[in-house]
Amino acid sequence: MTTAVVSTEAPGEASTTPVAPRPRRRAPRVNRPVGGAGAGVLLWGYAALALVPLLLMVSNSFRSNADLITDPLGLPAPPTTSSYAEAWTTGNFATYFGNSLLVTVGAVAVSTSVATMAAYALARARSRIFRWLESLFLSGLMLPIHLAILPIFYLFDGLGLIDSRLGLMLMYAASGIPFSVFVLTTFFRQLPEELEEAAALDGATSWQTFWRIMVPLVRPALATVAVFRFVPIWNDFLFPLVLLRREDKYTLPVGLTTFFGENATNYSAVFAGLVITTIPLIVLFLVATKQIVAGLTAGMAK
Amino acid sequence: MTFAPRLTGSSRPARRSVLAIAALSGALVVTACSPSTTGTSGSGGEGGDGKVTLTVWSWRVEDQAAYTRIFDAYEKAHPDVTIDVKAFKATEYNKILATGLAGANGPDVPQVRSYGQLQGTVAGKSLLPLDGKVDLSGWDDNVVASAKGKEDGKTYSVPLARQTVQMFYNQGLFDKNGLKAPTTWAEFIAANDRLLAAGVTPIAVGAKDDWTLPIVHEVLAAPRFGGKAFQGEVLSGKKTFTDPDWVGSVQVVGELAKYMPKNVTGVAQTDAQTLFSAERAAMIPGGSFDLSVFQKANPGMKIGIFQVPPAPGSPSGSTATTAGWADGNFAVSARSKHPAEATELVTWMTSKEFGQMVTDDIKQISAVPGVEPTDPLLKQMSDSYASSGSPYLLLTDFRYGAPSGTDLLGKGLQELLLGSKDAAEVSQDLDAGVKTWFKPTA
Amino acid sequence: MRRRTGLVFVAPALALFAVFVLYPMVTAFSYAFFQWQGTTRGAFAGLENFATLFTKAPFTTDLPRAVLHNVLFFVGTLLIQNTIGLTIAYLLHSRPRTRRMLQTLYAMPYLVSPIVIGYLWTLLLSPTFGPVNTLLTGLGLESWALPWLGDPKTALWVVILVSVWQWIGFPVLLYGAALGGVPEELTEAARVDGASNRQAFSRITLPLLVPAVGTVSVLTFIFAMEAFALPYAFGGSTGNPAGATDFVSLLFYRTAFDSGAADAIGSSSALATLLFLLIFGGAYVATAVLRRHERRITA
Repeated sequence: MTTAVVSTEAPGEASTTPVAPRPRRRAPRVNRPVGGAGAGVLLWGYAALALVPLLLMVSNSFRSNADLITDPLGLPAPPTTSSYAEAWTTGNFATYFGNSLLVTVGAVAVSTSVATMAAYALARARSRIFRWLESLFLSGLMLPIHLAILPIFYLFDGLGLIDSRLGLMLMYAASGIPFSVFVLTTFFRQLPEELEEAAALDGATSWQTFWRIMVPLVRPALATVAVFRFVPIWNDFLFPLVLLRREDKYTLPVGLTTFFGENATNYSAVFAGLVITTIPLIVLFLVATKQIVAGLTAGMAK
Repeated sequence: MTFAPRLTGSSRPARRSVLAIAALSGALVVTACSPSTTGTSGSGGEGGDGKVTLTVWSWRVEDQAAYTRIFDAYEKAHPDVTIDVKAFKATEYNKILATGLAGANGPDVPQVRSYGQLQGTVAGKSLLPLDGKVDLSGWDDNVVASAKGKEDGKTYSVPLARQTVQMFYNQGLFDKNGLKAPTTWAEFIAANDRLLAAGVTPIAVGAKDDWTLPIVHEVLAAPRFGGKAFQGEVLSGKKTFTDPDWVGSVQVVGELAKYMPKNVTGVAQTDAQTLFSAERAAMIPGGSFDLSVFQKANPGMKIGIFQVPPAPGSPSGSTATTAGWADGNFAVSARSKHPAEATELVTWMTSKEFGQMVTDDIKQISAVPGVEPTDPLLKQMSDSYASSGSPYLLLTDFRYGAPSGTDLLGKGLQELLLGSKDAAEVSQDLDAGVKTWFKPTA
Repeated sequence: MRRRTGLVFVAPALALFAVFVLYPMVTAFSYAFFQWQGTTRGAFAGLENFATLFTKAPFTTDLPRAVLHNVLFFVGTLLIQNTIGLTIAYLLHSRPRTRRMLQTLYAMPYLVSPIVIGYLWTLLLSPTFGPVNTLLTGLGLESWALPWLGDPKTALWVVILVSVWQWIGFPVLLYGAALGGVPEELTEAARVDGASNRQAFSRITLPLLVPAVGTVSVLTFIFAMEAFALPYAFGGSTGNPAGATDFVSLLFYRTAFDSGAADAIGSSSALATLLFLLIFGGAYVATAVLRRHERRITA
């Protein structure tokens, strides 16, 4: 599911590309905001709606549990950080955090690398077999992979990959390939072929052309793909739940389910745990938005 | 060109590729190891010194520390055995168990479901039969039934705890309103009215979570359908769930809806528990397993329990009852590398020593006969079950097929509370649902 | 690019994809054609498991309802998300200074896991503690203070709206980028010819966005048919209340892990296969329709 969901975004951006016959970057002479002040209020109001539940999560994490039970939605007055101390020490979050980072970063790196190579070939090779392979990858977008949880378990069991962070990483990397190939192929197709012809004249090998010339050109697209793969992997708990057994290998979401169970009635600790799991994503996203938006616009402008 | 046509353009070849995959799959299936043919690989490691490690799995994350303490005692008596307890979140446990029993690094001694929900595990030959190894003679019949395979009648697990359901009430709120635990239906209704007038929610119910509703039904209306007597009649086929007494019992829940929180089908179970713990609701129907939750959430609150008296129209001779069942059973995985040691461990779980620790440390009513709970409320529950107990019928006898009795009634009671169906229709649906797989004994 | 070189480039991705995605999926489909006793595979069963889905309880009632909910989820998400997303993107287009900031804010809910989203919104909408109903009552809109997640009439729509809320950042970003691609000269020319803002939008801009809308629709369809995490977080595996938020994936989950039935793997795998066929067929039809539509526009 995640794969498809994520794709709601990037491929669509590509779709408009060719239709637009020579876009002018943005509109420098936009006269005045459409809808005026009323629309402005609406836009900021909606932004508040987007943030309120998240702020509630943060605010509740700074309150004591007794406080939460009597009034689940009050303000943290005075704020207390004891639930963070509790979550961090009793919840093993430091370990989970490291595991999550390792698995997610590894999966995104592997997935993006192999998908970039494949996408380049699919965009450039003419042979029929590549059309067939492309369809194969695309059909992966429609495979509800979480329904194959039992076969995946047996596969891992057979390969001795139960309890292996490497195995989990490879699984995530593989499940991200259809989406990444889908997006990146479009981007490569938009690049003029003269680039490679020129490189070939200069005596560059296919690999050199790919690595030195093509990859740098699709960098914004790579950022987009990487971030949109990062989020669902970071948040997934189904696969690690079934494929990992040892607590020292748990990723954050699985650790969180255990933590939830231990603290079923300790809401403030639960909220603190939620904040700890969410913060890295927010940071990543804030850092990466610029790249993503650049990626999308670059896709458009071609 | 544009992206959408790309997708389209590739769809046709994709269809061909799917056919090819389908053809391939035949070949793959042949080479694929069927899950059950994978070699035995229980998780128990063996140290160089001949020490055996047994892995125990449980769905009670909140009890992990208590289990560790309990098994410390066993390790002391059995120096060659190390026990590694792992607990998983209850709502995800079925999934973990299904894979754990089938592959590597699984448990030696898993906690397994009871009654009907045990049967899939038994049918997969995932558990070792324990007949001749553990002795459950002298145990409550209803408890023993939880541990058996329906088909072969063999014992596959050792029951951990007896669960009972009853009405919890807040003694402080009752005192403040001049109330005491009711012994007749009239007193019960009067208490509800008094509380309602005082601005307190009389009965906290979390009807958004369908699984809680069959329990609510048992607590409020078990005498109305006749408790244990009805069990015999419905199992033998003399009566069905369309019986007027059963319909009447469903109706009781509907009639008491006015004492439940407003918009009760929107209230989650955690909300209902919070209402009770925050002393905004005076009563809550719940299981013995909820006691420690309430005690922990509001240590200052004085909690009492009572059996809800028979509602008007109850069959003659019907008395207030405490419904119960067994759960938390432990079994031995067929893949364990140390079946002898694992069996010895579950055999120890039938001992009074273990039973006493369960009730002291885990705060549950031990399934072992003769073990007395130390907590006074647990003892009261245990005594009520011993003197006037009945099986929690839909769980103990109507979970041997899908759709299960508890699922059907849970959903049905939601419809009743929403007003989209009446008691007769809800009972009719339950009857029709279980009839798809249930065969009376006579 | 030469064929051999191309294959070398594709090989790593193909290998990973084949081992960890294709093989397990195909295996899952193959399970549907066998009899099962727990995790032990029995004899070849032909289409028996599929027949079960159409003849036996609880599938006869649960499956059609679940499919209907998936379809409603798709239609609802598509209409609401596209409308709101396009409106916001259009409004933001003329506000270059605040655009980046707002786009980022709108995308925030996407970062939070659906389990957490479900937990938070359940709390917000709770009839006992929730501030939403308190607020409505405070505003004198008492009749609007509904048991949002407790009433089958509203529960599904809550799931749809929260899903839109979580994913809205995408259409906003995407349509924003697409609007940036509409040549200013075209709308400018229309205005010179006397067209109003609205006319310029509906006659010029909107048709140019059709391909983007089309692709979003197909992907929303796949997303909606696979819906699992959010409904699970809201209504549990049984689709509370009274099955009002049940979806095919939840039915799969119940069948595979909660039913305790001995043949659970067989019937749940049949369900997975059926779901894939539905998605594949739906996506195929949708793209065919789109293509025809597009041809009409570009012609």
